This record gives sequence, structure tokens and C-alpha cells, in this order.
Amino acid sequence: MSATVTMDSTNYTQSTDNAKKAVDGADHSPAPSAAHDTFIQIKDDFGFWYGESQVLHDLNFNIPKQRVTAFIGPSGCGKSTLLRCFNRMNDLIDGVRHQGDIVINSHSIFDRQLEVISLRKRVGMVFQKYNPFPKTIYENVVYSLRVAGRNKKSQLDEVVEASLRSAALWDEVKDRLHTSALGLSGGQMQRLCIARAIANKPEVLLMDEPCSALDPIATGKIEELIHDLKEQFTIVIVTHNMQQAARVSDRTAFFYLGKLIEYDKTETIFMNPKMKQTEDYVSGRFG
Amino acid sequence: MTTSKPSRNPNTVQPVGENFVWLTAMGLAAGIIMVIGMILLIFWKGVTVFWPKEVVLVELVEDSEAGLNGVTTFAGAIVDEREKLSRDPVTDAYKDEYSFFIGNKEVYGQMYYYIDVDQVARMEKPADIMVAERMEYGNAIFYPQALTLANGEVIPADTDAFNTVLQKRLEVVRDRRSAITQLEKKAIGRINHQLEDIRLEKLRLKREHGSDAADHPNMQQLLTREAQLEAEYKELDAASSALRELQQAETLTYQLVTGEERTLALGALVDVFKPNTMSFTDKVAFFIVHVWRFVSENPREANTEGGIFPAIFGTFAMTLLMSAIVMPFGVLAAIYLREYATQGPFVQSIRIAINNLAGVPSIVYGVFGLGFFVYVLGGSIDELFFPIMAEQGTPVFGTGGILWAAFTLALMTVPVVVVATEEALAAVPRGAREASLACGASKWQTIQRIVMPASSSGIITGLILAMARGAGEVAPLMLVGVIKLAPDLPIDLEPPFIHLDRKFMHLGFHIYDLGFQSPNSEAAKPMVFATTFLLIMLVIVLNLGAILIRDRLRRKYASGTF
Amino acid sequence: MEPFYQSELKDIRNKLTMMGEKCIEVVRISMQSVENNDTELATKVRKMDDAIDELEVTIDNDCVRYLTLRSPVASDVRFLILAMRACHDFERIGDEATTIAKRVLHLNKRFPSTDHHHILKIDKLVLEQLDAAMHSFIHNDTKEALAVPKKDREIDRLNKENYKYFLQKAGEPDLEVNTYFDFIFISKALERIGDHATNIAEEVVYYIEGEDIRHTDIAKRAE
Repeated sequence: MSATVTMDSTNYTQSTDNAKKAVDGADHSPAPSAAHDTFIQIKDDFGFWYGESQVLHDLNFNIPKQRVTAFIGPSGCGKSTLLRCFNRMNDLIDGVRHQGDIVINSHSIFDRQLEVISLRKRVGMVFQKYNPFPKTIYENVVYSLRVAGRNKKSQLDEVVEASLRSAALWDEVKDRLHTSALGLSGGQMQRLCIARAIANKPEVLLMDEPCSALDPIATGKIEELIHDLKEQFTIVIVTHNMQQAARVSDRTAFFYLGKLIEYDKTETIFMNPKMKQTEDYVSGRFG
Repeated sequence: MTTSKPSRNPNTVQPVGENFVWLTAMGLAAGIIMVIGMILLIFWKGVTVFWPKEVVLVELVEDSEAGLNGVTTFAGAIVDEREKLSRDPVTDAYKDEYSFFIGNKEVYGQMYYYIDVDQVARMEKPADIMVAERMEYGNAIFYPQALTLANGEVIPADTDAFNTVLQKRLEVVRDRRSAITQLEKKAIGRINHQLEDIRLEKLRLKREHGSDAADHPNMQQLLTREAQLEAEYKELDAASSALRELQQAETLTYQLVTGEERTLALGALVDVFKPNTMSFTDKVAFFIVHVWRFVSENPREANTEGGIFPAIFGTFAMTLLMSAIVMPFGVLAAIYLREYATQGPFVQSIRIAINNLAGVPSIVYGVFGLGFFVYVLGGSIDELFFPIMAEQGTPVFGTGGILWAAFTLALMTVPVVVVATEEALAAVPRGAREASLACGASKWQTIQRIVMPASSSGIITGLILAMARGAGEVAPLMLVGVIKLAPDLPIDLEPPFIHLDRKFMHLGFHIYDLGFQSPNSEAAKPMVFATTFLLIMLVIVLNLGAILIRDRLRRKYASGTF
Repeated sequence: MEPFYQSELKDIRNKLTMMGEKCIEVVRISMQSVENNDTELATKVRKMDDAIDELEVTIDNDCVRYLTLRSPVASDVRFLILAMRACHDFERIGDEATTIAKRVLHLNKRFPSTDHHHILKIDKLVLEQLDAAMHSFIHNDTKEALAVPKKDREIDRLNKENYKYFLQKAGEPDLEVNTYFDFIFISKALERIGDHATNIAEEVVYYIEGEDIRHTDIAKRAE
């Protein structure tokens, strides 16, 4: 039985040297500051194909630890595809292939010996349309623990409270943990999905347009939540809403037709972008 | 239906398509009316059996050629008044005739009698006339004369005490009858089984050790035990005979309307009643008692009398067994086809093949069941486990039985379950699966924890359809395990409690048997209707149970609309 | 429910208030230096102006950043407009105070004088105006803000009188011309500070009421 590599936070090593080398296609990205090391590296001209058509071209950049990084760009530019590469959800689609590498926490995620399941335990995901399971709130939150084989009630109770508190949902549902999750409002359901995603204490939290199905108040609560969560997790968020990217993220990557056009601090991207394409997009002048 | 056509009268606007709504509503209404009508018809025809009919004394016109045994007066219950099937040779018109139930089969040779309406001079309803249900030869219609008790006391029919004493004695007779059945079926039956086991054991020893068998230590044990059992048997037999004698001790003498006198032991009677003197509440009570007897007792008189409990039980047991077999197979096959197999032309052709299985005539399944399950599988099991029985000519699994019947029907209903399950699995939204995988669950964990519960209501729908189809099929069963009259139930209190090798009775087959193979089709007609109604009720009850389960599941796992 | 970046807005408000207070302080000190011919105080004024200039840059940057990244609307946007305009007005006030200090130093080198005529009166009024503008900003008081443009007429009048008086005095043979020209400049600088205070009050009205009263009758100090 071949040894399988699982991603474990104890394997994390300080890799500031890797951080110094961040070169992207347009060569506009400064390395992340030494104070926040690289956590996710997209390298070796990472490219991705759906069958015959190439959707991601020559990507090289680094995502810093415990920060919020936003991917923005028009529809079809490949940002969601790239996000789904990080936890290998694209494996579910037939006929995909890639070139290059993605390294999370110093381990390549495409390593043959890596179990995809263990990768997904380290990299959590929140989807565009909130999708709680038709179970109780309690069971939703502890789902990832149960499938990992941890069933001890005291442990689970702790995790439920911690996750729901982190997701700013505890006060609203603490009296009805064992009622169906489908009885919550949309914003509450999305926060429940976030609680579910962080229950297993992943290192990275991927969010694919998490607020697009929500009203402004719920959206505000989630943005607040993201701001709080970045102390514990490295967050990558894909969003169509540029103002949202401006509000919540520390770094922003602008994609167009599968290429990375500009990647920089969010302030720079929105106040003083270096590429004209970026400027056109963020000011709404895109054709 | 939102556009409107301008019409002549500017005040009326007819939405386009309204006609089609009306048409579809009519179609639905027609279907519902037909179904309800059929059920009501069956219900009515079946239920009238149990309602006590009044007996009329018929006097025919003088010089009438019709007459029972030459007598022009007789008694009977009017069953029907209808047009004759053939034209009258004299008047060249269709005359009407009565159909009377005259009973007393052992005297008259027939239970029904047909008389032209114009042959009847007079009909009246005597109060004293009595109808008796008997253990043999069906019902009898007569004037009671006297009751002779065991101690020799004679009570004439015109005394007040007659009715009360008769009813009391009949109760005693009924109790004693069930005691005899207990004794014979259970106690003596048990002993017979044990004797049979000993016999087989002796055979086995003889076979293994040849002539030395007699010296084998076990043999001595067996012989002692055999003797013990035989002694017990004799005791019980004696007890049973004593009870039987008691049944014959008291008698009822009566006279038929046509004049013959008869004497009948009380032990041969089930019930007596005077139909012309019963009040409405009496008749209702009678009705309820007889309906209860119908569903709870064993049949008599070649299935034309008595109850059909074994058939109900057999149908029920077989349907449950079939469901227990078809569900795991069907659901697992569907899960593989939908979740694991790479979709391509091969998988698609398998799917088509499964769907086509649903169109194969059921008798073909019967033949397959007989050839494969019974002869090949059953034969092999017998060779391996019951060699002695097979040699003796009494195969255990090598002949039809409830197990093979359930397997055959399971094979027949598998396509339904597979299709329903596949649809239910496909209806689970992708989001739920993705969320589960993103939480680090494996594919099987996702199926087990998320997909299966979400599709459970659809799977139960498949079960409902399978049960509905399976409970109603008769043709294949005739080849693989149904029998006209079964001595035992397939599930009883004797270990090993569930006897998968036993043949069983089935309501559908019972209907066929009664309707087309019984010696007296007129007598059987009401039973056929009653049994049909019961079969429909049984299927409805099974389906209702499954529907309730499905509703509960649907409420619990609310996502999806299946 | 406040979004997590609301603190950034509070931060700007605090800086603006601090800037305002520094301005009032710098004007008062510059007046003290005039009154007492105090060169030490005059030097202090210049240092304080540096701090005010720094604040202008900081507040400007913060406002641009907030506008870009937080997409504010309604009163938040008006507040940022107020902040950006007011910090320029404060910076100008600081510069005018520095001018006054320079003039004091110039005076004290050779020909100090105490013939201030209305200068100290104007100074008092100007400080009152600044106080009122800051007060109306801190307490969201429209009435107080609206009172400021009206009082500016008095400052203008006093300044005109000063001009006449100092010009006349400059013409007298035995008095030092430079002194009185310095006094004219100081008076003018004070009058300008008063105008800036009026601008700030108008901006505060815009922030509170959403109404731009610049160059309207209220603002033209018509009576």
C-alpha cells in the first residue's frame, strides 16, 4: 500500500524564501511582504484545460497566509475555475487536465500520493448558492468531523459551538441546534455553510461568490465575518462585486480570459492600477 | 392561456386553450369514474354474499313441468331475476327467470335452481323456515322438527326453549371443534413431524452404516424415542376421537319443504338462523360475523365455502418477501449505474435492457423461475443439504415454494425499482453532493449520508410500484409455488418459523381457481367477487403503508420534489 | 449594525477635529505674539503649522482611500467632502497664522508697536467664528453653522476700518511706515482666516443638511 501524504498543519514550515520570488505573467506583482508568508503558490506557468479548450494560461503568483485575496474579472475569465482547482473540485468533471503546479503549505496538491479527501479537509469551500444538508443544524456543522470518523459527543459539541460562534450564528440558533437547517433564512443558511466549512479547522477557506444570492444586510454580515475570520484562515474569495472585493480583501487579482492581468494590494488595484485593462474593468468601462 | 382571441361579442373573451383544459378534466373524470365504478361493482357483488337472504316458499302453477323431485312446492332464497339467455321456443321472446338458491346439495344434487317467472304461482315467506350452515355440502334449508340432546332429552321445535338451547349447544360444538383442530393440527402435528424426523434419521443411518446400522448407539435412542412418540400419539388420538364422538352425540331432525326428513349431528353444523324473522340489527350482526369469518378462517368444500385467510396471509407474506429481495438488488444496481459507472454507450444499453425487462410477459418469468430457480438452484440445494428427501421423491427446495415465487416476482419488478431509484438519485441537486465532497467526504460517504436519504422518498415510490405490480401477478406464480389448498401457512409458530420451502395460497390464484376451476361456478361467483375485493383492499393497504412512509421521509428530507 | 470599516470614518473625523483644534490654537498663539510682541511664540507658530500641514496630507489620503475602497453614500460621502474641503481651509488658516507670525518677527526686529487699533477685536471675533464652526461640526448644529457667515460682515467692516486707519498712520511723518504696513497685512490675514472659517461653516451645513449654500444669499452675508 503506497504511503499517502496528508496535509497536516504540523508540516508547515516557514518558507519566506519562496515568498521572495513571485513573478506573474505581467510582472507587476511585488512579493508578499515578509511579515505574511506565502501560503498558496501557483507556479510553473499553471494552465488548465476543459477538454480541448484552455481556460487558464500561464499563471504564476502567490497568495499570502491569513489574508483575504480576491479574484475579480468578467464572467468566464476563469476565476471560479482556478478557485476550484485549489481543492481539486474540478476532478469531478470529465476531460480536464492541467499543467504546472499548485503548492499549498509546501505540498503540491497534485502529488500522486496525496489523497484528495485529505486535501479537502485542509481546504474548505463555501459555494455561491448556499447548500446546507437536509439535516439538523448540529449535524450540518459536524458533518466533516463525522465523515472523518470523529464521533465523540463532547468533542462535537465543542466544535459546534466554536464554529457557530466564529460564523456569528451561535446566538441565533443556539436554542434550536437540533431542528432542520432548512428552516433558516438565506443569510443564516450561508453562515451555516461557512460554519460547516470551518468546523474542521481548515487552513484555507475558499469562497465562490458567497454573497451573490443574499440581500444586502446578509451580505454585510458575511463581509464582517470574513473580516473576522482572516485572523484564523487564509481566505480566497471570488466575487463579481468589485465593491465587495474593495471592502473585504487585502490583495486583489484581476483575471481576463484566463490570464492574470494584475495582482497587487487592493488599494493599488482600485486607486492606482498599473494596467489599463484593470483600470477599465474596475471603473466599469468594460465593453 | 394568457392571449385572448377577439370574438363576435366584444364583451366575452375566451382564453385560448380552454377547450383542452376541459378535455383533460373529462379524461381524468372518466378514469376516476371507471375505477370507482369497478370497485363499487365488485364490492356490491361480493358483499351481498354475507347479507342473510330471506327464504321464500315457492308454489308453482298446476301442471308445471318444472319441480324438484316431482314436487311443485319448494323453498329457496331468490338470488337473481333476469332475462333468459335464449329465446322461448313457443313465444319467440326472451322470458324472465328466477334463480333460486335451494341448498340441501346432498338431497337435490344441485344448489341452484332456475324457474321461469310465469311458472310461479305464489311466493310466501314462512317464519319458521331455517337455514343451516354446515361443514359439508353447504347450506340446508328446512323446517326444524326436534333437537335430541346427549342425555336423550328431545326438545320439539315449536317450544320456546328450542332456539336458546340450540344456540347454546352450537356454541359448545364450535368450541369443541376448535379444540379438536388444536389437538390435531398442533399437538398431533408436532408429533408427526418428530416421527418424520426420526424416520429420516433412521434412513440416514442405514445408508451410512448399511447393515451395521441396527447396532449403532443412536439407533437405539431413535427407536426408544419413536416408541415414546407413538404412545403419545395414541393418547392424543384417543382424546381427539373422544371429542369427535361428542360432536356426534347431539342431533337435529328436520324436514325439507319438499318432504324429505333428515337427521344431522350438531357437530356438522356451523351456524343456524331463521332469515325471515331476523330484524335489521340481527342481519347487521350476522353480516359482520360472516365477514369476519371470511377473512379469518380456512376454506372448506373445495374453496367454495369458508374463509380465505390462508390466501390473504400467503399473498401478504409473498409480497413482503418479494419486496425484501427486490429492494436491495434494485437500489444497489441503480446506485452503480448512476453514480459509479462511466456513462457511455455500454451503460446506456444496460439501462435500455433493464427497461425492456419490464415489458416481458409475466408468464415468461414464471417459466424462467421454474427452470432456473426451482430446478437448477433448488435442485442443487436439495442435492447438497437434503439428499434423502430428494431421493424419497419429496424435494424440499427443488419444487415450487414461497422463496422461489418471491425471487421470480422480484426479478419481474426489478426494472421498476431500478428506474425509480435512478430518477430519484438524479433529482438530488448537485449542490448537495459538491458540498459533501468539499467537506472531505469520500464518494461512498456522500452517497450513504446525503444522496440516499435525499432520494429515499423516490426509492419508496419504486417500492410502491413494485409491490403493486407483484401483488397482482398470478400467471408466474402458478408455476413456481402457488397451490390450491395449502395444509400449512408459510410462517407459523413451528421452528424454524419461516418455511421458505412451503407452497402457499394466493388471492389472485384463488380467484382464478374459484372462477374457472371449481365444480360449481354459480356457487363460486360471489366468493370470486368477495376475494377480488379483498385483493384490491390488500394492495391498497400495502400501498398506503408505503405512501405514509414516503410522506414522512419526504417531510424529513425536504429538498427535491420527487 | 456597523460595518467593520466604520472605524476608518471615525478616525478621519477625529483627525479633522484635531486639525481644527490645532488651527484655533495656532491662531490664538499668533495673536498672543502680536499682542505681546513675543518672538518666541511667533517661532512656535511655524512649528505648529508643520503639524497642520501633515494632517492635511493624511486626511486627504484617508478620504481618497475610503472613497475608493468603501463606496460610501449619503451622509458618509458628504462627510468626506466636508473633510477634504475643510482640511484645505484649515491648512490655509495655518498658513495665514504663519504669515501673521512672520510679520510679528519682522516688526520686532526694528519697530515694534502696540497701536493695534481693531486688530485684537478682529482676532476675538475670528476665534469666535472658528469656535462656532468647530462646534457646529462636532455637535451637528446647523443653526450655529448658519450664524457664522452672517457675522463675517462685522469682520470685513473692522478690517476696512483698520486699513483706513493704518494707511493714514503710515502717512504721518514721524511714524514708521513699515510698522503700519505690517499691521495692514496682519489685519488682512485675520480677515482671510475669518473667510476660511465661513467656508468651513458652509461645508458643515452641506454635510448636515445636504444643501450647498455657497454663494447663496445666506452665504453672501446679505442682510
